[in-house]
Amino acid sequence: MSKKCYRFFGGLLNMQADWLNRMSGKGYRLIRTGKMLYEFEEGKPNEVSYCVEFIGEKSKESAEDYSRFLEDMGYRVFSKNINLNYAVGKVRWRPWAERGGRIATNATTFNRELLIVEKENDGKPFELHTSYEDKEDYYGNLRKPWLFLLLMFALVSVAKHSVLFGVFALVALIPALIYQVQILKIRREARTQEW
Amino acid sequence: MRDNAKGGALTEVTFYILLSLYTPKHGYAVMRFIEDATGGRLSLGAGTLYGALNSLQEKGWIEPCKDNGGRRKEYVTTVQGKEIAKKELARLNELVGIAREIIGDAV
Repeated sequence: MSKKCYRFFGGLLNMQADWLNRMSGKGYRLIRTGKMLYEFEEGKPNEVSYCVEFIGEKSKESAEDYSRFLEDMGYRVFSKNINLNYAVGKVRWRPWAERGGRIATNATTFNRELLIVEKENDGKPFELHTSYEDKEDYYGNLRKPWLFLLLMFALVSVAKHSVLFGVFALVALIPALIYQVQILKIRREARTQEW
Repeated sequence: MRDNAKGGALTEVTFYILLSLYTPKHGYAVMRFIEDATGGRLSLGAGTLYGALNSLQEKGWIEPCKDNGGRRKEYVTTVQGKEIAKKELARLNELVGIAREIIGDAV
């Protein structure tokens, strides 16, 4: 018995993970993902937990290496798009990405910006990032695309005297600020804790 | 990683990874080793472990095992990594010695 749900969470990674975990609580376990599709099979409640991880900054090689590593750890890994991308051009410029990932196409991480990671519950909490240093890096990677969007929208808005792009810039500012606050919080904690 | 190789101070995670890889292990076994050794006090997330393994490999302190039949990638501590671990042990011994003098053996 499979159940299909259609949802789109975009950049709201925690909301997506929370929803998947609620579905797992009801006994639904993910078997397939599509652009907006989540297909579940029915099982026992709370068998698995989910994390949603942003990997859009990775090159094709390191994205593959990372998901293989997670599979070797005994997790199941699904890839997911962060945008809907109805545009025809399947190429994106990502100046904020690591070397080898700056031109994203269908063959690389384009439309595969997220990993949904599933772990069989063993009574311990499921976290992928546990050290302060690593968390700071991860939130930094999440902040970069938003800062880039903010900059681009702000430039266009000033150049064209466009209010609309000014609004876009402000919208991009919100997630950038949220991640910035996280980073500052982690740095403050890291001052008194080793990891 | 914030390891201070010159002064010898390693982070706890780095030191445990170097120790666990004296015998070859894959990622999952490293994670289990650290959890078991610390009674669950130190529990590494997979993403953090991945980053740590890569950065230690860049430093040349650990390396992937050349010939392993299995699909999983195994790592082992290099000669350089063992030197670093020995230095860390000496540094910790010194620290423990001084702490004993001051606090006593009670704990």
